Amino acid sequence: MSRHVEELIEQKMADIRTGKNIHETGRVAGVKNYILEIEGLEEVGYFEKVVIDGKAEGYISAIGRNRVYVALTKRSEQIYIGDRVHATGVEFKGVFAPDSLGHIVDMFGVDRMNDMRFDETEDLVIENPPIPIMDRGNVSRPLLTGVTGIDMIYPVGKGQRQLIVGDKRTGKTQLTLDAIVNQKGKDMICIYIAIGKTKKEVKEVYYELLKRGAMDYTLILTAFNDEFPPVIKTTPFLGLAIAEKYMRTGKDVLVVIDDLKRHADVCREIALLTGTVPGRDAYPSDIFYTHARLLEKGCQHKDGGSITILPILETKGGDITEYISSNVISITDGQIVLSTKNFEKGYKPALDYGLSVSRLGGAVQSREMKRVGAVVRRELLAYLEKCEVYELANEDEMSPELRENMRNGKEIRNRLKQYKYSPIPHDEMLHMFDGLVRLE
Amino acid sequence: MSLGKIISISTMRIEVLLTDTNVRVRDIIKTVDFEPENRFEIAEIKGNIAIAIPFGSVIGLRKGVDVERVEGGLSMEYSSEILGKVFDPYGRLIDGNTIANPVVKNVYERNMSLKEIGTNGDILWTGIKVLDFFAPMQKGFKMGLLGGAGVGKTVLIKELIHNVYKYLRSNSVFIGIGERSREGKELYDEMIEGDLLSKMAMTFGQMGENSMARSRAIYAGLTQAEYLRDECRQDVLLFVDNVYRFVQASSEISAELEQMPIDNGYPPTLLSDVAGVEERINSTDNGSITSFQTVFIPADDYNDAAVHAITSHFDGQIVLDRKVAEKGIYPAVNVFRTTSRLIDVEKVGERHYKLVQEVLRYMARYEELEEIVAVLGIEELSKEDYNIFYRSRKLRNYFTQPMFVAEQFTNIPGRFVKIEDVLDDVEAILDGRYDTTDEHRFLFIGNLYDYKQGNRS
Repeated sequence: MSRHVEELIEQKMADIRTGKNIHETGRVAGVKNYILEIEGLEEVGYFEKVVIDGKAEGYISAIGRNRVYVALTKRSEQIYIGDRVHATGVEFKGVFAPDSLGHIVDMFGVDRMNDMRFDETEDLVIENPPIPIMDRGNVSRPLLTGVTGIDMIYPVGKGQRQLIVGDKRTGKTQLTLDAIVNQKGKDMICIYIAIGKTKKEVKEVYYELLKRGAMDYTLILTAFNDEFPPVIKTTPFLGLAIAEKYMRTGKDVLVVIDDLKRHADVCREIALLTGTVPGRDAYPSDIFYTHARLLEKGCQHKDGGSITILPILETKGGDITEYISSNVISITDGQIVLSTKNFEKGYKPALDYGLSVSRLGGAVQSREMKRVGAVVRRELLAYLEKCEVYELANEDEMSPELRENMRNGKEIRNRLKQYKYSPIPHDEMLHMFDGLVRLE
Repeated sequence: MSLGKIISISTMRIEVLLTDTNVRVRDIIKTVDFEPENRFEIAEIKGNIAIAIPFGSVIGLRKGVDVERVEGGLSMEYSSEILGKVFDPYGRLIDGNTIANPVVKNVYERNMSLKEIGTNGDILWTGIKVLDFFAPMQKGFKMGLLGGAGVGKTVLIKELIHNVYKYLRSNSVFIGIGERSREGKELYDEMIEGDLLSKMAMTFGQMGENSMARSRAIYAGLTQAEYLRDECRQDVLLFVDNVYRFVQASSEISAELEQMPIDNGYPPTLLSDVAGVEERINSTDNGSITSFQTVFIPADDYNDAAVHAITSHFDGQIVLDRKVAEKGIYPAVNVFRTTSRLIDVEKVGERHYKLVQEVLRYMARYEELEEIVAVLGIEELSKEDYNIFYRSRKLRNYFTQPMFVAEQFTNIPGRFVKIEDVLDDVEAILDGRYDTTDEHRFLFIGNLYDYKQGNRS
């Protein structure tokens, strides 16, 4: 076998040297869903774009000893065994249109509202090399969302990655939309990356943002539910590549990824279909790395620009210790945990203040906000913890100090309630708890 | 000279058809006449086919490309100038510095004999109440910091760097594996700001980099620590954040090699991989390596095979718990799982030992009482249980501590607390001398004497 391959290689190398047949063709030898097995194409590069006789497009996902494998990204007609496959000699890239701000676009540079390709487009490398550790600056500038529970207690800074995690119907997407709307007039670019969402959901997000004038500075990049898994898998990487492009020009970018659980499931699907050895919960062993290198694009660059990422992750039964969510938590700079119980009781936004974390904390808050926030958070957590223990205790028998703690804690919790799209400005937020907490 | 040609390619693995079979596993090969240059480490050889793992991205790489061997294998340069500098997992400087007249050494070579391993050392106080009390540290120890995602491992290791390294000022090695680049850079900046970097060498293979980089960072860092111990005859502090990521990267590589996994996708070589690294972290009669190693607990699963493989090498462990963190208690230490070989009458003395036992007894009873109270209310408790209940809550609050590196979260400056004070305070709380003080007041303070003097700010 290897002797045969060796001869084949020698033969091809000789061809190349004489300038023969550079962009060669191969034939489809096997079809397994969206993965094709190809005979021939001895000269393709890894991740090169290929075209299947005007019927479909894809990229080289693996090069075997005598077969190459293609992952499909587009298909207009059924593919038959024996169809011709053409190498293109170029790397598989995404398409970005500078005019796409304000539109719902996909990774091929098409405006999905009218299915027209933008006139002016450029090819964008889907994944740039990691941003070197020495090129990163301190994350210290606040990114205000207008939500008290976030800005005051678990703040987000420009260049931070803050996970939003919770069950279905707890207001995850809503929090990110609030954050996007609050960027109006603040010279930010927002990119909402919809991964495996339904068309209806994406359209609703679009109209919500449009109504509030937020589409002026927002781009919705989508890979719908019914698109090929390789497209769903690569779309968020392209989204970050677009963000990086803006960041390199000194812009501050806010990226929402909705959501990573679906992304992990797509990666698992592809991995299992291509015969990768399964790891925990049948996810591929490199699922942590996949999410890590995606989210590590978020940074405050030393040259001024920044990428802030708010990834969303859906859990089941409120279990944030599940494999994928604990992976992502260990990548991000903190997490906003949303709880069904709080949502049902009407404490909206339904933050679980005990489980939420911001690893940057006061470093991304103004001095005054940090001063108030640290005390509010401590009082609130102490109250929530005491609630559990003293639920049945007789109020008359409590020490006066304890009674006051309990009363204040309850009031703090009530004042944190906030309706959607009703942002509170920074200075107003500072005085929300006047008279309730003793500042040190 | 060409060694062979590439015949297959996937993201993290290539196959090479060898024309020259004089190669060994762990040899380094690189592409010839192909841009960009790629490097690989040979992981497996089957007859005339070698399987190799790439150091970087293989996008654009083609079949038929020639490869040749890089002499010396994976090695790194070192000299006394490594201190104050930052390296990548392959031993290259990434901070723009250079090293003059370096010695070159293969990173896999060192193996310690039983004869040279030393076991004695002095107790090393960290100034963190809950650590010194439940899990005291000794020079030459390996202390694990275990915890799930987001419970405060990194803050704690930074506090240890702050307290231990700053006061000891012995030479140190920091190895960052598979953690956030932002945190790595912040640590670097803080070390420079505090003028502390001069005695520390740092190696980073962070989470955005590929499996190869993350699995090799530890070898580069170890080679530096061994140099300081063996050739400079020093006592070295070694900080590893996070050693679990080394195993994780190894399982990514193992999956690419199509090795049969044990549970949860870990490589069959899990135990030997970990042992190969941990057995190198030891002390000799000439110098010592004292290490703090963080261990990520995947999916909060303390029975995870990799976590067990790693912790079996430790002399002590500090376990951080989400249930504790949820209550705002930081450091979020689970006192029942936190232990050290030093908790022994002969080592820390009878008083310390007995106090630890007594506090654990209180805490264990408290857990039971918490459930009873939630159902029946506090009034139903006996006098003895009533005392245990309130004193335990005070103890629990007392073991929180403002940390120097967490001032941005708490707005309270850090405190270094002496072990004598901790023992006095714990004894006083257990004896009931603080029964009339509100539990709230024990949160985030240093020792009780200072606190009473009103020095809280």
